[in-house]
Amino acid sequence: MLTTAERIVFLILVVVCGGLAFRGFANIVRIVRRGRKAEPREGLLGRFLQAFLDVALQRPVFKTRPLVSVFHAFIFFGFSFYLLVNVNDLLEAYVSGWSMIGRGGVAGVFNLLSDLLSVLVLTGMVALLVRRFLAKPKSLEFNASVKLHPRVVAGGVPRDSLIVGVFILLHVGARWVGTALHLAKEGHGDPWLPTASLLAAGFSGLGEAALETGTHLCWWVAMGLIVLFLPYFPRSKHLHLMVAPVNLALEKRTPRGLLEAPPDAANPGAKELTDLSWPLLLDSYACIMCNRCQDACPAHATGTPLSPAALEINKRYYANEHAASLASGDNTGGAGLLDFAISEDAVWSCTSCYACVRICPVGNAPMFDLIEMRRGLVFDGAAPDEVAEVLRHLDEKGNSFGESARKRPRWAKKLDFKIPDARKQPVEYLWFVGDFASYDPQCQEISRTVARILNSAGIDFGILYETERSAGNDIRRVGEEGLFESLAEQNAAALAECEFEKIFTTDPHTFNALKNEYGPFVDGGPFDVVHYSTLLLDLFTQGRLEAGTQLKARGTYHDPCFLGRYNGGFEAPRGVIRACGLELVEMPRSRENSFCCGAGGGRIWMKDHPDVVERPSENRIREALELGAVDYFVVACPKDLTMYRDAVKSTGSEGQIAVKDIADLVAEAIGLSAAEVN
Amino acid sequence: MANDVLVVAEHLKGELGEITFELLGIGKTLAAALGGQCVVALIGGNDGMVTALGAAERVVRVDGEGLSDFDPDSHGDALLAVYEAVDPRVVLVGYTSMGMDLASNLATRAGVPHAASCIALVEAGENIHATAQLYGGKLNVTSDLGGGRCVASVLAGSGAVEAGKAEGAPATESVAAPAGRGRVRFKRLIEPEAGDVDITAKEVLVAIGRGIGSKDDIEVAEELAEELDGAVAGSRPLIDSGWLPKTRQVGKSGLKVSPKLYLALGVSGAPEHIEGMKSSATIVAVNTDKQAPIFNYAHYGLVEDLFDVCEELTEAIQEKKG
Amino acid sequence: MKIVVLMKRVPDLVEDLEVDGSGKALATEHLKLTVNEFDDHALEEGLLLKETSGGELTVVALDAADVDKMLFTALAKGADRVLKITGAANVEGNTGLAAVFEEVLSAQEHDLILTGVQAADDRDGQLGPIVAALLDVPCVEVVTQVEVGEPGEGMVTVHKEYSGGVVAELEISLPAVLGIQAARQSPRYAPVSKVRQIQQSATIETLAGAGESSGAAAGGGSGFSVVEMTAPETGAGAQMLAGVDELMAVLEAKGVV
Repeated sequence: MLTTAERIVFLILVVVCGGLAFRGFANIVRIVRRGRKAEPREGLLGRFLQAFLDVALQRPVFKTRPLVSVFHAFIFFGFSFYLLVNVNDLLEAYVSGWSMIGRGGVAGVFNLLSDLLSVLVLTGMVALLVRRFLAKPKSLEFNASVKLHPRVVAGGVPRDSLIVGVFILLHVGARWVGTALHLAKEGHGDPWLPTASLLAAGFSGLGEAALETGTHLCWWVAMGLIVLFLPYFPRSKHLHLMVAPVNLALEKRTPRGLLEAPPDAANPGAKELTDLSWPLLLDSYACIMCNRCQDACPAHATGTPLSPAALEINKRYYANEHAASLASGDNTGGAGLLDFAISEDAVWSCTSCYACVRICPVGNAPMFDLIEMRRGLVFDGAAPDEVAEVLRHLDEKGNSFGESARKRPRWAKKLDFKIPDARKQPVEYLWFVGDFASYDPQCQEISRTVARILNSAGIDFGILYETERSAGNDIRRVGEEGLFESLAEQNAAALAECEFEKIFTTDPHTFNALKNEYGPFVDGGPFDVVHYSTLLLDLFTQGRLEAGTQLKARGTYHDPCFLGRYNGGFEAPRGVIRACGLELVEMPRSRENSFCCGAGGGRIWMKDHPDVVERPSENRIREALELGAVDYFVVACPKDLTMYRDAVKSTGSEGQIAVKDIADLVAEAIGLSAAEVN
Repeated sequence: MANDVLVVAEHLKGELGEITFELLGIGKTLAAALGGQCVVALIGGNDGMVTALGAAERVVRVDGEGLSDFDPDSHGDALLAVYEAVDPRVVLVGYTSMGMDLASNLATRAGVPHAASCIALVEAGENIHATAQLYGGKLNVTSDLGGGRCVASVLAGSGAVEAGKAEGAPATESVAAPAGRGRVRFKRLIEPEAGDVDITAKEVLVAIGRGIGSKDDIEVAEELAEELDGAVAGSRPLIDSGWLPKTRQVGKSGLKVSPKLYLALGVSGAPEHIEGMKSSATIVAVNTDKQAPIFNYAHYGLVEDLFDVCEELTEAIQEKKG
Repeated sequence: MKIVVLMKRVPDLVEDLEVDGSGKALATEHLKLTVNEFDDHALEEGLLLKETSGGELTVVALDAADVDKMLFTALAKGADRVLKITGAANVEGNTGLAAVFEEVLSAQEHDLILTGVQAADDRDGQLGPIVAALLDVPCVEVVTQVEVGEPGEGMVTVHKEYSGGVVAELEISLPAVLGIQAARQSPRYAPVSKVRQIQQSATIETLAGAGESSGAAAGGGSGFSVVEMTAPETGAGAQMLAGVDELMAVLEAKGVV
């Protein structure tokens, strides 16, 4: 179809632009390889098959924003098919007589798909451009104090979006119009090309020459543009269509609750971009800048300068800006992450709730970047003062309260029976109590309630008394790896001396550490650990607990991050709630989408950021109140108990909703009198 | 060795410190028991001070260049000179910023025992017994200072100021100032920055201590203070960690306050803090540690979580106000 | 500039302190020692001075429970040398301790000696002024700020705190001892992994102290005995309330609300 001159020009264009694009891609590969090592990714074939299947079904995209995801799916399916369309169009241009138009059978199906998908792509793209540039959703904005790369401030992201959008419109639009012109030239429609045929009717007035010129022009706009776009491609967000599947295939597949140890213990943490492990570098290239992670982030929602999206975007812009030096490795001594990627206060704003990682459609894990940066800051003695003080307490006394280690079991003294000492006698269940449940006065009452429930059910359980130390879950997440290891070693050594069948704990943070992170410290593999919600539900199921009284009340349940999102513990607490007869009403954000209380990742020890407009816990209580007529806000985590009791007070919601631990409900349902409970 | 008690006067900005009168009261009682005189060492003072020291039997003055403002080195040398001239049985020094410079220095150079952080001194037979508040106020330790000379540094608030306050014209004598060694040079006094709340002028103070869990807890304390028409004050650790400005510090290196109500939340009650607030009309202590020394000084005590108490009390007051 | 920081371990006040059967000493069964918090501030101020003005920082401490960890921690924070004095476990009080330190310091170059302004167990006075008197150098207690003069001037300018927030600015010729009340910033945290690394690579220098004879060398201060050690009667003066309602009633009675 093309003239010889056109064919030569196109080939030259392919060589030049292709060469430039290749350099761009090569730089990306080299930069990613500069990252520190990560745990080996095994079973690559399976990983890639799974990732391609997920992408083909658009599963990661549909985790949220359903309408936008539908439009994205239009473009995705259309564009995927356009790979074939483009091959066909090249053949048409270079192989004389090659044409699909006017043929039936396989060619007819090909035509029909290309015709309909073209319209879907155009519809989807127009819708997304209208959304971004006319509807201007708030989710595409950042909090005022979020650190942004100068080029992002200058409007880089919308400009990139516009370029990509217009490219897609022109590429697909021109091909569609070109097909219509082709049909107009032939003077009849084609049942396999319904929309192009409709459009062709509009061109019937044009002369033969005009139509001929028009088809050439459209070919060039459709195909020439792709080639021209190639060098821009590795610099644009459009790159995600190639990197996202790879990133999804290579994402961390170990348990969510297992953090990788720093690759270099002698020099832990990330100060510069290339101090991050390679998967974290790859993240920024996969990023489509959709801000979904930011939407899910409790820190951003409450006004702090933390945006996981901005972090990835800034990394990307910095890497693009310094691509050559980063790729060649002579960028050492370059700008620090805190200079361009994120501010130090934002690094400490993270609650390590995992929502950003969970929601990301391209498999990014910005939370891990933050923990790496924290590791660097802690190692340099730059932890915030409040954190430093807590770490000192934990190092010296084994608990975050700075209390005497000897006072750890004191909560149990008020019981009218003695909890067996697991250090001295074998027990079926070893109760790893945790810091908050041991030392916080409100949580101590829940601990006593749990003890009485288990005692009444005849469970054989014991505790470690003053030998127990903080399990270290949040210590690890503030970036103090050495202290975490030290605590884990002490606890593992203490547990090795005891005889027990299972461990249980009321604290999801402790649960996570013991279940997922203690493996390397324990001979014979990780412990068999259950959360008390599971234990209580089992006791109901086995008939060892019986709800004599059905609670006549409505309650909603808050999924703790480290039980729910991290460890999939969604059903057991709900089962316990139902067993007590409570009518359970779900909040809009529940299970995987649960909204963090704001205490995790060491946040419970830190002061609120001055920009905070509303604490995450207060935001959550508001969400519960909006359900209407809910009596109880039910929790299954000691930190939640304190966070939400405080939030009920600070929002002035006393009398409207009461924070109850699942143990409170069970005690009432099985008829433990208040006097017996405390 | 005489049986006299030598009280070291302390002054700043031309005024005698209250500790001086407390020491005088204690010194007079002790001197009477020992059968000696109560003598004051006044280094770099003025004539007005001598009149104010009427409760003493004698005032020994050392004057000289560079002595009018305190510097630990020359005042230390001067005190040693007075000590040698008077040859007292007991030297009483305040356990204060200035006293900390002087007492150990004198005791070491004179080769006599020194009991620090004392709250009481008694004559026990031939010997002097000193009771000191140690271990953050958790233990009282009584020491036998023996039958010879000794130095005791006394915590502010251990005696009554009135007991040592009397106008008069005590006998005065002078001791020549030792030649200055010039190793420490006084430059200037810096007044605290004004602008913040004056906690000494408030009728109600809500004081917070190390027991406060996080900076958020300060907010609830502030709310409570507002309801009570008072202000928030704090103990040293809170100020050192930057959670409250220096102007809010109560205690030895902070301010001395005596409001109508001192509500101590999570304050353990270290002696340094106690000396700044023990003269408050009503002291209420809230602490989860029922062993906390603060309960020894409070009129009312409550063993509970300070956050809860703050919240509930704020509510109760709001309710009452309607 | 040669900076020496004197540190000591004291009973941890977070623990319940118990008196032993003699009624004159702390029961040692559950006694836990921790670094004197003011010494930690002294170390921090020393590190800050070293960072701004250069020099070498040496930490000296007496052998005691967990002292190695304290010294390795000091190295991890940035100290250049740490010295542990052994064989002097029986020295009595600060007077005895100061005599041991004096002996060590006499053999070490030192310009600025920093230590905590006080400690929880200062029965016989504070360490700083005693060491200074023995070395015959000046000492200033309750210091909150230290600035090093121009090189060659051999002096520092310090802020000494009085009550009420009044501060005196003093100039001191070196060598001198400073009793630090608070460093300019909270003492830094040394991460465990760094301390462990230091433990592998660095060594604690050990010096034999003079032991029991040291106390006598200090002069008359040593050896005054404890007659009695008692816990003040808890809540002696306080009327204990049962809850916020009762507290509210008290406030109403006192006319505060």
